[in-house]
Amino acid sequence: MSRFIVRRLLSVIPTFFIIVTLSFFLIRLAPGGPFSREKKIPPEIMANIMAKYHMDEPLLNQYFRYIGDVLKFDLGPSYRYKDHSVNDLLGAAFPVSIMLGTMALGVALLLGTLVGVTSALNQNKWQDYAAMSVAVLGISVPLFVIGPVLMLVFALQLKWLPTSGWINSRAGWKTVIMPIATLMMPYFAYIARLSRGSIIEVLRSDYVRTARAKGLKERVVIAKHVLKGGMLPIVTYLGPAFSGIIIGSLAVEQIFVIPGIGKIFVQSALNRDYTVIMGEVIVYSLILIAANFVVDILYGLLDPRISYK
Amino acid sequence: MKRVLSGLLLIVLAATLVVSCGGKAGTAKGVEFVMGNGAEPQTLDPSKIQGVPEHHIYMALFEGLVGYDPKTSLATPGLASSWTISPAGDQITFKLRKATWSDGTKITAQTVVDSWLRSLDPATASEYAYMMGMVVKGAADYNGGNGAKEAVAIRALDETTFQADLLGPMPYAVDMMAHYAFAVLPMHVINAKGDAWIKAENFVCNGPYKLLEWKPQESLSVVKNDKYWDAKNVFLSKITFLPIDDNLTAYNKFKAGEMDWSYGIPLDLIDEVKLRPDYQVSPQVATYYYIFNMTRKPFTDIRVRRALTMALDKQELVDKVTKGGQLATTSMVPVMAGYTPAKGPDFNVEEARKLLAEAGFPDGKGFPKTPIIYNTSSGHKKIAEWVQESWKKNLGIDVTLVNQEWTTFLDTRSNAHDFDIARAGWVGDYLDPNTFLDMFIIGSGNNDGLYANPEYDALVKKAATMKAGPERMAVLQQAESFLITKDQAVIPFYHYVSQDMIDTTKWDGWYPNPLGSHEWKYITLKK
Amino acid sequence: MPLLDKKTDKAVNEFNQYVKPVSLWADAWKRLRRNKMAVLGMWIVGAYLVVTFGASVLPFHSYTEQQMLHVNLPPSLKPAGVVALGEHEKRRVDLKEAIERSGRSDLKTDLERVDAEIIQLKGDMDVNPVHKRVYILGTDYLGRDMLARTIYGGQISIMIGLIGTLTAAFIGIVLGSLGGYLGGWVDNLIGRFVDLMYSLPYMLIVIIIMSMLPTGSNSIFVLYLAIAMISWLTISRVVRGQIISLKNSEFVEAAKSMGASSNRIIFRHLLPNSLGIIIIYSTLQFPSFIMNESFLSFLGLGVSAPQASWGTLVSEGVQGMQLYPWRLLVPAVAMTVFLFAMNFLGDGLRDALDPQSKNRS
Repeated sequence: MSRFIVRRLLSVIPTFFIIVTLSFFLIRLAPGGPFSREKKIPPEIMANIMAKYHMDEPLLNQYFRYIGDVLKFDLGPSYRYKDHSVNDLLGAAFPVSIMLGTMALGVALLLGTLVGVTSALNQNKWQDYAAMSVAVLGISVPLFVIGPVLMLVFALQLKWLPTSGWINSRAGWKTVIMPIATLMMPYFAYIARLSRGSIIEVLRSDYVRTARAKGLKERVVIAKHVLKGGMLPIVTYLGPAFSGIIIGSLAVEQIFVIPGIGKIFVQSALNRDYTVIMGEVIVYSLILIAANFVVDILYGLLDPRISYK
Repeated sequence: MKRVLSGLLLIVLAATLVVSCGGKAGTAKGVEFVMGNGAEPQTLDPSKIQGVPEHHIYMALFEGLVGYDPKTSLATPGLASSWTISPAGDQITFKLRKATWSDGTKITAQTVVDSWLRSLDPATASEYAYMMGMVVKGAADYNGGNGAKEAVAIRALDETTFQADLLGPMPYAVDMMAHYAFAVLPMHVINAKGDAWIKAENFVCNGPYKLLEWKPQESLSVVKNDKYWDAKNVFLSKITFLPIDDNLTAYNKFKAGEMDWSYGIPLDLIDEVKLRPDYQVSPQVATYYYIFNMTRKPFTDIRVRRALTMALDKQELVDKVTKGGQLATTSMVPVMAGYTPAKGPDFNVEEARKLLAEAGFPDGKGFPKTPIIYNTSSGHKKIAEWVQESWKKNLGIDVTLVNQEWTTFLDTRSNAHDFDIARAGWVGDYLDPNTFLDMFIIGSGNNDGLYANPEYDALVKKAATMKAGPERMAVLQQAESFLITKDQAVIPFYHYVSQDMIDTTKWDGWYPNPLGSHEWKYITLKK
Repeated sequence: MPLLDKKTDKAVNEFNQYVKPVSLWADAWKRLRRNKMAVLGMWIVGAYLVVTFGASVLPFHSYTEQQMLHVNLPPSLKPAGVVALGEHEKRRVDLKEAIERSGRSDLKTDLERVDAEIIQLKGDMDVNPVHKRVYILGTDYLGRDMLARTIYGGQISIMIGLIGTLTAAFIGIVLGSLGGYLGGWVDNLIGRFVDLMYSLPYMLIVIIIMSMLPTGSNSIFVLYLAIAMISWLTISRVVRGQIISLKNSEFVEAAKSMGASSNRIIFRHLLPNSLGIIIIYSTLQFPSFIMNESFLSFLGLGVSAPQASWGTLVSEGVQGMQLYPWRLLVPAVAMTVFLFAMNFLGDGLRDALDPQSKNRS
């Protein structure tokens, strides 16, 4: 196990380096730049701007300057939000997204496994069909539909909840309900369906049959053996899901005006805000690599058959 | 499991606690105002601002020499209590009133000089510095690195008198100076802190409001500035700007009573929005149009350009597609005080078909399959679809529609000029026809269709040297008629309207105006 | 579970009797047909394919033709002229009320126009055959038939879903099982490559690819490429996880000890046992490809207006759902029904292909 961890850590560093380098050069190939404007900036002023941000230097120099800054944990200034550094922007937005994402994924995991297990234990009975229909609905209806519909019903018609905003606004904690309910839907659906499938398989496996044959109580069998074994595909899914939910919640952030990372992620690409894009790539890849790493270690804990040589 | 549950319970409890403590805020301290402000402000530094959301915040935090009249958008006294224009029309002298920054430091004529020079300084890299370059003598040269700082013809005659020499008799110069490009800056802080002056802890301003809190992407709030010279007439105690870019959310939030003013209108709900008494619509100095690439066949042929123009019933477009009260037009320049726009060809299918046949495409036969490019947006898409179908129905020609995301679109249209027909829109920076016409001269960075007519250029340049008055306007009108009739370099569709949601039976001092400049200090509750 | 008699290479059961070799597929088909929900799903999917891809020869209205007098008509079985007149008269009442309240001049011009249109409609109603049309699912903002738009929209969305799912499953299976089975540096290499693909800014890569094509040449192939590029990432990790967990199980040990080749172990033992998860995951991904297409069309990749896809129809419908709910519901329901059918079909396939249930039911 410890050899596996060391080897894995050693492979992470070059991967990370390749991601940063590739991204740095790739994003500059996109048409336009951070200072493309409808009312075009006169060339003299453009020259001033380029000089200010060192964008008039050869690209390789810019690259080494950037890497040097990154090693000092300085992600540079934002070209669009000129009063903020990338560190400031991401530093403010990440906690919000992590909070929103963790809560939504937590709810999805709880409800999803519950529904999945119920379905699997009642395979092809009405409970199964009902539960899976909810799950399919959850994944077929896009977030940008669920969000406005919830808002229409709960904020405008019933007036139970504020339309939008985030925790520190006057409306307080009530603001998190609709975003979480919206954001969790597809994840809930994935988890419910994946857990149903894998639990059905585990139920038929030899070790569960053995456990039952030993005369263990059904509840013990399910809790100790079935759940543990059936969680594997879900755990695998959680790696990318965790990084995905944090960075990919654009629709929810946009609809409910949440100051998270998803909006910055898309906006920075559209604005060609190079430093912000790079900052996001760096932070995202770190989270992703870490999440997948944790998942691989969890494999060993969940399934005794797995061993890393 | 238990721990999770008790954690959840705790969250719920905390939530109810926060809600119950929230209560009504601010009734004792005065009237608060919440505005849906479109997007996250890119900066608060007036030298670096560009865009509408920043403009609304600028007007709360800063005051230039002149401000905007709430009804006409023309210059009103601001930091300057009065001004005089020299007989030749090329020099303005401002008399400053006694005013201070929010930290108590005095504002003098020298502050104005230093502020303008800072905006022009190449090292500041101000994007809107070109506006100063358009009117102030020596400004463009200094900003472009071709002239000395000292050659910029602005000066402090004494502590309260500021003077600027113009490039010529420019009648619109004073009105232009309400723009944030001509802001007055807290130079004592900028000199001490450099670029960090904009940080909340250093921030100093001279407008009716001062910065309270800025949470990126979430909200920006300002409170009344007691040091403002006219503070006794400032009514609102606090203004909160919310960066809501989703129009549906903005509208819902307004409907739910969570905002007092919002300009995000969902286009698809316009039929409902229109019926509301709190919907405000007024003409804007802005035009929606398509441009031809004048270097590409078959658009090098005036008959083709005119045929395409005449085959579009723009009244139908504004009545049935955009529906927001936009004004269908054949002109590039909207109606302005003293200016009657030139008239382009009207909707006339028969004439259009005839022209197209003369150009060698009877019934549209042989017309190349041309793409129209537009930037992704449901509004532009609807219009493009309508244009496509109209041309097909009226002329028998097929065009394809190509949408691109904004930055790619700008690159294709403005840098590569790699298009046949492209969508465009232009919002006037000041109230003069020149703002719509000087972009079409040869070599202008905004002449995306590569229109080139030396006669046109001569007229525009001539008008720039003339004094205000009907003669000058006549020259500009002649130039416009070149653009939209003789050469038909563009197809004007309609003049925009500004669409706002604000209950004017509740709020006073908010009037629709041509530039959409609503000075905060005038807004009060109706009695 | 049948084992192999090494000498004859024929299947034997637990009691060492020869069993009639039934191929995996024939057997699965037999069981699939017994699953009512799966059969229903199959019929629905089949019907969708026939209608959407045969749309051009079927008697639908044009999906591009605009009727300015038929804008935003609700679903109805009555002729369009009658419905339009009703809508106009409703609008007239609303406008009059609003004018009484506020007296705004722009509303008065609107009222005049509506009056003129009512006169025009009344006059044209019996003369112009256009007003005899029936829009059973209503019209959109330019007076185009929602039914036709939804059906034609299905073409691109179904294609995208299928191509995305197939490439995802194929690449995901190959790379996932290779990494999972071989382990070591191969696994590490593939794993890091997946991390890399996840981390690169996808949106910009799509923008760059598009900028390399000439303006207006909107190749549908590029759309498929853009979808396929990232479709397989998560599924490859899921497959890898399954393989890792299965490769130490008894039956693989048994196969190994009997000298089965790696190929044989992967394709005859590991993959069939992971097929369930693969199928579930694939059907789950289907809607995300459809939505991804509408996101890519924001960047200008994909179908261009006036053609629509389910994704773009739904995202446009949301904006006006308060006033014109059918513009959201028609494409959304069409899409959801299809996805339901796909999921039931997927479930049926999963059950049918499950080697554990073989020879048991």
